[in-house]
Amino acid sequence: MYRIWLLFDPRRALVALFAFLFTLALLIHFILLSTPRFDWIGGGVATPPGAQDSSLPASK
Amino acid sequence: MSSSLPPREGSLSGLTETEAKEFHKIFVFSFIVFTLIAIVAHFLVWSWRPWIPGPNGYTMIDHAHNALAVAASAFT
Repeated sequence: MYRIWLLFDPRRALVALFAFLFTLALLIHFILLSTPRFDWIGGGVATPPGAQDSSLPASK
Repeated sequence: MSSSLPPREGSLSGLTETEAKEFHKIFVFSFIVFTLIAIVAHFLVWSWRPWIPGPNGYTMIDHAHNALAVAASAFT
């Protein structure tokens, strides 16, 4: 398995890996912040009962 | 003519076998540390707010007494 570093330059591979992981982490954190349930800054209480079924028509 | 090429020296990346082994050790160790931290982080977030809703939505698992049962049933 270590032979992969004979093919790929570790310096470039590390820069690419860190860039990818950082972008992915940033993306996931912003997606979570945009949801009501997993917003840990402006959040507070978890999504109240029934509130997550927003695709369903409101019961009368 | 092509058969008279000199034997290839070194590698595509320029690393020797020893250097590749040495770097690989550090890489695998770092990967394991990274994964362990990620597992701890996921465990903490799951205990804060699970991200897989039950059949009746999140309400079912937001009650503390149900949380364990749901978490257990997810792995069985």
